[in-house]
Amino acid sequence: MGWEERQVRGYPEFVRAAQSYHGRPIFALFCGDKDAEGRSWCPDCVTAEPVVRKELHNLPDESVFIYCLVGDRAYWKDPNNEFRKNLKLTGVPTLLKYGTPQKLVEEECFKAELVRMLFTED
Amino acid sequence: MAALWRRPRPPAVSGLCRTLRALSGKNQYDLLVIGGGSGGLACAKEAAQFGRKVAVLDYVEPSLQGTAWGLGGTCVNVGCIPKKLMHQAALLGSALKDAQHYGWNISQPLHHTWSMMAQGVQNYVKSLNWGHRVQLQEKKVKYFNIKGSFSDPHTVHGLTKAGKETVVTADNIVIATGGRPKYPTHVAGALEYGITSDDLFWLKESPGKTLIVGASYVSLECAGFLTGIGLDTTVMMRSIPLRGFDQQMASLVTEHMESYGTKFLKRCFPTKVEKLKSNKLQVTWKNADLGTEETDSFNTVMWAVGRAPDTKTLNLETVGVKTNSETGKIIVDASEATSVPHIYAIGDIAEGRPELTPTAIAAGKLLAQRLFGQSSELMDYDNVPTTVFTPLEYGCVGLSEEAAVQRHGSDNIEVYHAYYKPLEFTVAERDATQCYMKMVCLREGEQRILGLHFIGPNAGEVIQGFALGIKCGATYPQMMKTVGIHPTCAEEVTKLHITKRSGLDATVTGC
Repeated sequence: MGWEERQVRGYPEFVRAAQSYHGRPIFALFCGDKDAEGRSWCPDCVTAEPVVRKELHNLPDESVFIYCLVGDRAYWKDPNNEFRKNLKLTGVPTLLKYGTPQKLVEEECFKAELVRMLFTED
Repeated sequence: MAALWRRPRPPAVSGLCRTLRALSGKNQYDLLVIGGGSGGLACAKEAAQFGRKVAVLDYVEPSLQGTAWGLGGTCVNVGCIPKKLMHQAALLGSALKDAQHYGWNISQPLHHTWSMMAQGVQNYVKSLNWGHRVQLQEKKVKYFNIKGSFSDPHTVHGLTKAGKETVVTADNIVIATGGRPKYPTHVAGALEYGITSDDLFWLKESPGKTLIVGASYVSLECAGFLTGIGLDTTVMMRSIPLRGFDQQMASLVTEHMESYGTKFLKRCFPTKVEKLKSNKLQVTWKNADLGTEETDSFNTVMWAVGRAPDTKTLNLETVGVKTNSETGKIIVDASEATSVPHIYAIGDIAEGRPELTPTAIAAGKLLAQRLFGQSSELMDYDNVPTTVFTPLEYGCVGLSEEAAVQRHGSDNIEVYHAYYKPLEFTVAERDATQCYMKMVCLREGEQRILGLHFIGPNAGEVIQGFALGIKCGATYPQMMKTVGIHPTCAEEVTKLHITKRSGLDATVTGC
């Protein structure tokens, strides 16, 4: 079985999704909400998403890719939002390997080799 | 016990090397660094800054107990970093005890959970492994997770974890493979039942009642924090503590540890380790003073009897890199060059160098600058400050009193000293008996400061600034002209005036 994608919005939905995949490698990309036209308020997320998607074929078998919209700009700017508090996210976009200290933040997500490294290294 | 299995070098490899160079006429990389620790990574990253093609090999041979770790070397994974964090965990325990005197309601007795501390430390270390991976990638340094061996002076080969043969050729090669803890192989049961610092920091469960054999700073620092988190801890020493350090200071360090709760078996050496039905370890040892044999049981036995370089698999003889027959370390000159002109060695693997992260990093950077920049600056190994992070820390820079006496003669040096009490200890009713400092100076001329030694809280922070003074050739009169910051422990350095020679009481009185 290859890898699969799950799309979620907001912190509670993210936690539920991560828990449901317990035991499998979980990679998550956190981005700002998208408007009706599908554009995110976060310009770096707009740049990073296609780069990350292009590397998804490198995901190890059995792994899960959770694409998570964190909320609107005001929610994200709040220093006490659950993503900042509980997941220790410092910026969007963030691409991480759930349950490990391995993550890429902001401009690091623009680099295909770094994304590939995150998906393939131990 | 992990089997040490070595594949015979495939005959095809040397042919492959010749073919590679014959095809292109040049080597694949400007610089190959073997070893991704403090020295190796610093050298590689610096060389990459000059736009050079650089590759790093890093490989961690699992310990006998099976412990392994990621990129970053000893300091990051099984040395400085986890050590200092666990030392901090222990200090916080003492701080909680002090807190009561300062008005905090802390429920006694205090309880420490090893797994929680270990998880926090291990997670931080793993984030550093990842950080190094990202940095290498960003700086365009090629990384191979393979154990390299020389096949010829410009060629290193090795197997990836998947078993793929990889060959790397380079114009310049830097060996920075460091060292690993030694085992006392003559002690029965040592390899089967003992652990080393390689394993201690990665234990998932508490080590419990622990015996640490050795008198090195590794032994004392580990015993110190284990005692601090509440474990029954014993240090077994064959002879003197902290060999190579100022012995008066070393004694004060161990004295404090004893009053702090660490047990010491002095002038003892182990003869065997056996496993009991209860899974505890029975250790038998000889007491050299009393001529008796004694035994006790422990949950964990840790060997801290020295570190040795792992050069066997490097194949150094094949390419003519000379090593010291006694230590096994690689012989280098002032420019870190080995007996083979384009092969260098830095860090713990190099003979005669301090086994410290900052000197390895500095040497690595300067080497890269000399090779690829326009620099000719050599590494200055004089007056390197350092600190032993025992429960009461000992920081020093420059000569020990013994070394100063040997070099200049006791008539030509003056030792200023003082016993002091940190202000924070007063209300907390803490014993400051071993809080002490001394400054060794030349007696004649400008009275240059040769060495400074400080035992007390935050010794590393205290000594760091004074290291600059020593580097600049500071003198006793200059130190006396330096105004102290009040109230601190460090200010007492600027006020040192009682000499050992005078025989007067060296206890500092209040302001």
